[in-house]
Amino acid sequence: MLLDVMQAGGGFILLEDSVQCSARGLLRCFIHAALKRGEDVHVLGFESPETQVCAGLDSSSVQRLHFHKGFPDPLGWTCRSSFTVERFTSQHITQLIKDTQHAQASVLVVDSLSMVLRHHDPVVFCQTLQELRNGGVIKTIIGLLHSDLHQQGIVGIVCHLAGTVISVAPADNERLSVAKTTRRTKSGKVMQEEEYFSVSEDAALSVQAKPRQPGHVQRERDVSEADPTSNLTFNLRLSEDERKAKEKVALPFVFSQQKKSALLRPTPGSGRIVYEPDANDDFDEEDPDDDLDV
Amino acid sequence: MAAPVRGMIGSTSIGNTTSFQKKTRSKLVSIPGTRPSVQNGQLLVSSGVSSLDYVIGGGLAVGTLLLVEEDRYDSYSRMLLKYFLAEGVVCGHELFLASARDHPDDIMQELPSPIVDDVAGMKISEGQSQPSDPENPDTMKIAWRYQNQPKVQTALASSVRFGHYYDVSKTMEPELRQAAKCHSFYQLQETPVVTSKVRNVLRLGLHSLGSVLWGDDVCCKDNPAHCHALTTFLYILRGLLRTSLSVAMVTVPSHLTQNRAVMGRIIRLSDTAIALESFKGSEKETNPLYKDYHGLLHVRQLPRLNCLSCEVPDTKDLAFKLKRKQFTIERLHLPPDLSETVSRVSKTELAAGCGSTATGNKHLDF
Repeated sequence: MLLDVMQAGGGFILLEDSVQCSARGLLRCFIHAALKRGEDVHVLGFESPETQVCAGLDSSSVQRLHFHKGFPDPLGWTCRSSFTVERFTSQHITQLIKDTQHAQASVLVVDSLSMVLRHHDPVVFCQTLQELRNGGVIKTIIGLLHSDLHQQGIVGIVCHLAGTVISVAPADNERLSVAKTTRRTKSGKVMQEEEYFSVSEDAALSVQAKPRQPGHVQRERDVSEADPTSNLTFNLRLSEDERKAKEKVALPFVFSQQKKSALLRPTPGSGRIVYEPDANDDFDEEDPDDDLDV
Repeated sequence: MAAPVRGMIGSTSIGNTTSFQKKTRSKLVSIPGTRPSVQNGQLLVSSGVSSLDYVIGGGLAVGTLLLVEEDRYDSYSRMLLKYFLAEGVVCGHELFLASARDHPDDIMQELPSPIVDDVAGMKISEGQSQPSDPENPDTMKIAWRYQNQPKVQTALASSVRFGHYYDVSKTMEPELRQAAKCHSFYQLQETPVVTSKVRNVLRLGLHSLGSVLWGDDVCCKDNPAHCHALTTFLYILRGLLRTSLSVAMVTVPSHLTQNRAVMGRIIRLSDTAIALESFKGSEKETNPLYKDYHGLLHVRQLPRLNCLSCEVPDTKDLAFKLKRKQFTIERLHLPPDLSETVSRVSKTELAAGCGSTATGNKHLDF
C-alpha cells in the first residue's frame, strides 16, 4: 500500500518516525514521486538543507521544486532564512503558493512538523492544517513528525487529523525498515498494512511484503486436530454397509409423521392435570380445620 | 397482573420485551416518527438503528442527549450519526448538524437510503417456527420434540417495529433529503438559524465535539484549559433540550482525551452514553471470538427519566456489526468449550491429598 499512497497522493499524509529509524529518506521518495507526476512541490525545510532534497533530480523537476529555506536558522535569529517557523499560518502559506506562477496541483511538504509544533499552540496548528487542507490551493500535504519529541496526546491529535499515517520503525534486518500504513478513506473505511522497505541513494523505494510471523503458523497447526479414530487398537470407523444398517435401526419413541406433527403443534393449554379418582379415594368436602378452636 | 396481548406480530419469545401497548389518550402529542415509551411514558424517537433502540430502552426520549464515544478511526460513530439524521429525514423531523472537520453538506450527502419494503422486518418472525419436514436436512431424528424451539437469539430486536432500515451502499435520494429542513453549522463559516412555528421534533447532530478543530485542547493536554467551557456547554445544551422538542446526538473522540476525569464529567452530563470500540488496528482483530463482528459496544449510562429505575439490557457484552442493510448489535456469547484439556486439571489435583498411598513431594504439614 505504501507505493499506492506514494503514487496517488492527495490529502494529508503523515510520516511518523523516531530516533531509532528516520523517515527522511521516505520523505525524499515522496517528493521525487510528486515531481515526476508533474506537480509543484513546496518544501518548508526546517531541518535539512536544500542539497539533500534536490540531489538526483533532473532540471525540469528542479524548476517545479520550491525550497523555502529554514535550515539552519528556523527561528530567524540570524536573519538568514527565507521562511521562519512563526510564519507557519494559513495566510502566509497560501500566499507563498499563490506567488508561484502556473501552479497546478501543489504539494506542500513540511520537514518537519515537530519544529512547528514546538513553537505553536497545538490547537492553532491543527486549525491551520485544516484551513490549508480545505483551502483548495493545496492538493497534498506531507508532513514529517518525530513522535518521540511530543506528548502522546499531541501525536494522537495530529494522527487523527491525517488521512494516511505511515509509521516507520527499525526491523530485525538492518538493511530494511518496517512501515505501518493506515489509510482512512472518506467513506470511513480503514485499511492497514505493514511492509518492509528500503530507500536507495537515488531515492528509489523498494518495498517488500512482510512475511507472516511464525506465531501465526503455529496457531494454525494447533487448530487442525488429529483424526481421533486413527492409531487405535480397536476399530471406530464404519464401512458403508454398517452405516446403512445403523440407519435402519428402529429407534424407540419414533412416531409416525402425523403423530409427530400433531405433538409439535402448539396446544393451547399445556399443563392440564387430569385426575380420575380411584376406588379407594374418599372425597370429604368438609374443611378439616373447622374442628380447631382457634 | 398479566399484560394484555394485542395481536402484534411475534409476541413473547424474544427477550424481555412486551407487546403491551398503552391506551393512548388524545392529550398525548402525536408527532410523526414518535411513540410513547412503555416503561415511563416518555415520548420516544428512533435513533435510526433498531438494535440500538432496543439496547437503550426503546428509543431516544425527546429532550435528552445521546453521547457516543467514537471509535479509533471515527468510522462507526459517523455511521451512527448518519443513521440518526437519515431517520430524521424519513420521519419528517427538522435537522441541525454541526461539524468542524467535514462540511455538513458532505455528511448530508452521504446519508443512507431507506429500504422501502419490509424485508428486514419479516425475517424476525420467519426464523421462529419452521414446520418439520422429512426432506429438510435440519429435521432432527431423535430430538424431534425440540424441532420448533427457537435457536439462541443473539440479535436484539423488539416485537414492535419502530424505526426504519437503511441500505448503506446507496445514498439517499436528493429529493427526499431536500424535503427535510436542515440547518447546519460549520466551524469555518457561520450561518444564521431560522426558527419555525410548526410543532415538530428537532434532531441535533454534533460531530466530534471536543476535538481540536472545535478549538478545544481537551484532547491534547492533561490539564486542559477548556474543559470548563465544554462541560458548561453540555450542561446548558441539556437544559435547552429539556424545554423543547429536540433530541441531540453528540459524538466525542474519547480515545484522544488524556484526562479520564474529563470523560467521566462529560458522561455524567449527558443522558444516554454509549461507547464504540472497533477492532480495526487492535490485537482483538485476530481473536477468533470476535471474528464475526466489527467492534464492541459499551453502554456507559442510561437515563432514569421520571421513574426510579431504568430498563437495562440483560447483558453487558454487546458486539456490533455493520452489514449493508442493517447495523446489528448482538449479545456476545461464548460457544461451548469443546477442547479436551478443560476439566482434567482440577481432577488430578483433588485426587492427591490425604490418601495413604500419597508419597513423594506432597507432604501435608499440620
